[in-house]
Amino acid sequence: MAEGASTPEPIQRLVEAFHRLPGIGPKSAQRLAYHILRTSEQEASALAQAVLDVKQRIRLCSQCLNITEADPCSFCQDSRRDRTIVCIVEQPLDVLAIERSGGYRGLYHVLHGVLNPMDGVGPEHIHVRELVVRLQAGEIQEVIMATNPSLEGEATAMYIQRLVGPAGVKVTRLARGLPSGADLEYTDDVTLARALEGRQEI
Amino acid sequence: MPAPARSYSTEAIILRRRNLGEADSIFTLFSRTEGKFDAVARGVRKAKSHMRGHLEPLTRVQVQVARGRSLDVLTQAETAAAHRRLKDDLDRLNMGLYCAELVDRFTIDRVEQRALYDLLADALEAMEAGASAVAVRYFEFHLLAITGYEPQVAACAACHAHLPEEETLFSAPAGGLVCRACRHRAESGRLLGIRAIKVLRYARTATIQEFDGLRLDAALAHDLQAALAGLVHQVIDRELNTVRYMDALGRADRTPALTANHVQSASPEPETPEP
Repeated sequence: MAEGASTPEPIQRLVEAFHRLPGIGPKSAQRLAYHILRTSEQEASALAQAVLDVKQRIRLCSQCLNITEADPCSFCQDSRRDRTIVCIVEQPLDVLAIERSGGYRGLYHVLHGVLNPMDGVGPEHIHVRELVVRLQAGEIQEVIMATNPSLEGEATAMYIQRLVGPAGVKVTRLARGLPSGADLEYTDDVTLARALEGRQEI
Repeated sequence: MPAPARSYSTEAIILRRRNLGEADSIFTLFSRTEGKFDAVARGVRKAKSHMRGHLEPLTRVQVQVARGRSLDVLTQAETAAAHRRLKDDLDRLNMGLYCAELVDRFTIDRVEQRALYDLLADALEAMEAGASAVAVRYFEFHLLAITGYEPQVAACAACHAHLPEEETLFSAPAGGLVCRACRHRAESGRLLGIRAIKVLRYARTATIQEFDGLRLDAALAHDLQAALAGLVHQVIDRELNTVRYMDALGRADRTPALTANHVQSASPEPETPEP
């Protein structure tokens, strides 16, 4: 850290705390810390309280493991949602992305991770057991695999398919193809092949 | 002396990927001409990236690389072989990643290893075409041979004496089969039957396709797997991530999963292949 001995200790501590955040380098950390120094005490304590609240009031939904303040979460409580479909995602942020699309009215299940053979991350490191327990209740008829279309996401999807498929639950996978604004010329063969397979009549 | 070229083009197989910062990834590539090296792909995790789909582990790619100060930078990538069928099958995907991790652990940076490159490319091609775990044994055997640890299966690894046609001790510390006279000096090992020994000898001369054509019963496959895994462990002396992962998958498979209402079968799994 570039902070010299002349910098008061509280500022040094704040700079270091910001520096630990993702995407924040030493210069940005300094700038943020000195910005806080200039703000009113009110604003600063609001920020501190917001940080504390996130840690103290947010927990995982006991059903879908999404982040929530109330347990069960608003998705799991909502009686207008289709309780026979569950969409499996890697991270809580993926839930927001799917909600934004506006095309989904079922439930969710957040794995909080993904199988990673290259790093030795197996099923016990992600929330798969909880999914199995949910499926045992028998209400869920379709599982939508919405993990990322990466090697790890695909491995996770195949694993869950293998785990729950034989139990008679329908397992589907998000379609893979060309994103809006894509260039065919630069598209990799696998994506293009899948886009062709998944073509639809217009 | 002329300055080295600022960029170069090479064919490589992607061994692994790890994320860097917000949108970059570092790839470990194994190139036919450059050996193993790390290179960063900037912005590759953004949806707009042109290279993204070309840079998945186990893909064989043609890449353009710019020399960087500490880390080279991938500037272009074009798939040569995507190995899609391999990646669409959980077991074969695991086999492929295991082979890639072995190559990663058995090589050092920037040392050209054409024979090993060809072996990995052949193995991935064979798995793409449907090869079984038997092909992985072939891969292990030849990986050890190419890197200077060829399993000694023709004569005694210790005294080079002729081996009679009988059950023989296979000792990882000794580097292969050990005759009766030397057996007391071998630190550890497992007894291999005549069939297992013949299969190991066949690996030396067969092609991967011929070898994969062998139909081995479970006990024999397990013997070979344990023998070769022992040698691999002897060399790298640490657990492989992919092995840890496959063990975890195996454990999860053996736990009864679903047992309710519309559920007929409790154990969903036939069998996971050994690494």
